Amino acid sequence: MSSERLRIAGATVATTADRGGRIAAVFIAFGWHFAVNVPGIATGWTDYRVPWAAAAGWVLFTFVGVLAGARLFYGFAVPVFPLLAVLLIVDVLVIAITPDAIFFHSANWAWGTIGWFALLLLYDRGIGPLVMVLAANAALGLVGVLAATPDGNGAINLSRFVMYIYGTGVLPIALVAAMDVLRATAATAAASESARAALESERLGAAHAQRERQERLGIVSEAAGALLHDLASGRADPADLDVQRSCALAAARLRRLIAESDDVPDPLLHELRACVDVAERQGVPVDLISVGDLPELDVAIRRRLAEPLAATLATARDWARVTVVAQPDEVVVSLTTPATAGPAKEAHSWAMNGVVDYWYERDEELLWAQTRWRAA
Amino acid sequence: MGTDTVASGMTYGSGGARVAVAIVDDHPVVLEGVRSWLAADPRLEVVATGDNVDAVLSAGPADVILLDLRLHGRMVVDKVSELSAAGQRVVVYSEHHESSTILAVLDAGAVAFLAKHEGRDHCVETVLAAAADRPYVPPSLAGAMVGDRRSTRPALSDKEREALLLWFQSMSKASVAKRMQISEHTVKQYVDRARIKYARAGRPAATKSALLARAIEDGLIRPEEIGTYRSHASPDRPA
Repeated sequence: MSSERLRIAGATVATTADRGGRIAAVFIAFGWHFAVNVPGIATGWTDYRVPWAAAAGWVLFTFVGVLAGARLFYGFAVPVFPLLAVLLIVDVLVIAITPDAIFFHSANWAWGTIGWFALLLLYDRGIGPLVMVLAANAALGLVGVLAATPDGNGAINLSRFVMYIYGTGVLPIALVAAMDVLRATAATAAASESARAALESERLGAAHAQRERQERLGIVSEAAGALLHDLASGRADPADLDVQRSCALAAARLRRLIAESDDVPDPLLHELRACVDVAERQGVPVDLISVGDLPELDVAIRRRLAEPLAATLATARDWARVTVVAQPDEVVVSLTTPATAGPAKEAHSWAMNGVVDYWYERDEELLWAQTRWRAA
Repeated sequence: MGTDTVASGMTYGSGGARVAVAIVDDHPVVLEGVRSWLAADPRLEVVATGDNVDAVLSAGPADVILLDLRLHGRMVVDKVSELSAAGQRVVVYSEHHESSTILAVLDAGAVAFLAKHEGRDHCVETVLAAAADRPYVPPSLAGAMVGDRRSTRPALSDKEREALLLWFQSMSKASVAKRMQISEHTVKQYVDRARIKYARAGRPAATKSALLARAIEDGLIRPEEIGTYRSHASPDRPA
C-alpha cells in the first residue's frame, strides 16, 4: 500500500472517531431542547409577557440546530456567525419576556440552552469562539439579572446567576475539550496503525522476496554443484569452451543473488531481473548491478526505462552487463554487451513527468544502450 | 592458516625495484588465485600471504596490502582505518560491493576498492597505481561514487559525474571517450579527479594525504582546489 493511501486511511479512522462526538453533541442539544425547554415554556406560558415570542424563539433554536446538524454531518455550507447572532437575539428576547419572579426558572430557557446550540455551530472551531459566545450570554444574563433584581435580593441573585452560568457553560466547554483530546488520540492511533500496516506489508514483501531468492539459490546451487562435481571428477574439461561458458553463467547468477540487497523488491528491478532471467536461460551470463535507492516511478516511466533494454538484452550473446543508478530525481539504466548485428545508432526522447531519454550505440566491439529518466 | 613468507620484500621506487605486495584472504583458493594473477606480472612481487593481517605484515614490509574485506566472518573496516592511518597502502577487495560498503572503505583511507569479480587486469592495475599513490577507479568503485547520496559527499562536476557513470556502465574507457567526444586520457582524468576529491573527504589518513600530494605533483589537481573541493564552481576541465 502506498504511503498516500495509508495517510488517507489514517484520516478516515480519525474522522470516524470524531463522528461519535458530533452525534453526542446533537443528542445533548436536542434532548435538552425537547425534554427541558418544552415543559419550561409550557409552565411559563401564562406568565410570559409575550407567550408566542417564547414559542417562536424555540422554533428558531430548532431551525438553527437543524442547519448546524446538516453542516456537521453533510458538510452543508451554513452562515455560522449570523446563526450565532440569531441564537443571541432569541436569548435576549426570552430574557426580556420572562417575568422577574421566574427568572431562574426553566421558563427562562434560552440562556441555559444557547451553549449546546452554539457548540453545534462551532464544533470544529476550537474552544475560543465557544467561550466568547458563552461570555456574551453571561453578560446578557447579568444585565437581565440586574434588571430583574428588586433591591435587597442582589447578593442572592448574583450567586444564583454565577451558579447558573457556571453550570450551563462548563459542560459544552468540557465536551469540546474532550473531543479535541479524542481527535488527537484518534489521529495518533491512526498514524501508528498506518505505520504498522506499512511495516506489515513490507515484511510480507521481504518474506516473499526471500522465498523467491532461496528458490533461485536452490536452482543455481544445484547447477553450480553439478558443474563443480563434473570438474572435480574430470568429466568436464576446464579447457572446453562450453564448460567455461557454463561456469561463467553459474558464477554470474550466484553473483547476482549476492548483489540483491533490496529487502522489498523494487518494481523496476523486478522487471529487469525478469529480463535477465530470460537471457540467462538462453545461456548468456548477465551482471545486474544497482546503485542507489529507486524513487517511486509511474508504470509508464518504468516501461520506457526497461523495455528498450529488454529488447536488446534478448539479442545478447556471450555476456551482458545491466546497471541501474538511481537518485531521487534521476534513474539511469544501461546495458552493454558484445556487439551483434543491428542498427549503429538510435535515440529517442519521451516527455513523461520529466523526460526519458534513450540512446543506443554499436561499434565493432560493444553494443551500449542507455535509458535515463530525469524528473521535471 | 599461518603466514607464508614468499620472498624478502623489496621496496618499490628504489631504482626499478618491484612492488612488494602482501595478500590477506581467508579462502585458500582465492588467495592462491590472486597470488598467481599478481606473480605473473614482472612489476609485482608477492612477499607474504595469509589469513591474518598482523601475521602477514610481521613477515616484513609491503608496499601494498591487498586485503579481503571479510575475514573469518567479520568486516574488517576498522583494520583498514588502522593500517591507513599508519600510512600502509591498502587495496580492499571483496565480493561485497554495495555502495555503502565501498564508500565506508574509502572513508577509512583505503587507496582503492576492487570487486572480486573484476578480474586480473583491474587487480594488477589497482595494485600498481596504489604503490605509486595514484588513483585507480575500477567500475564498481565508480558506481559507488556516482550513486553517493550522503550529505558529506564531495561535489563532483557534471563532467566528472558523467565520466564515472559511463565508465561504470561500459567498463570501457574507449567507449566512454567516444560517447563523451573527448580523449581517453581526458576520461581517465575526470575519473581520477573524482577519486581525488574523495581523498579530501571524511577523516584524514596518511594514505589520503599521499594520494593528494601525488595528484598535485602529477598536475591532476591544483593545490588551491584541495581546499575548495566542495565548490560547484570549480573548473570542469582537468588541469
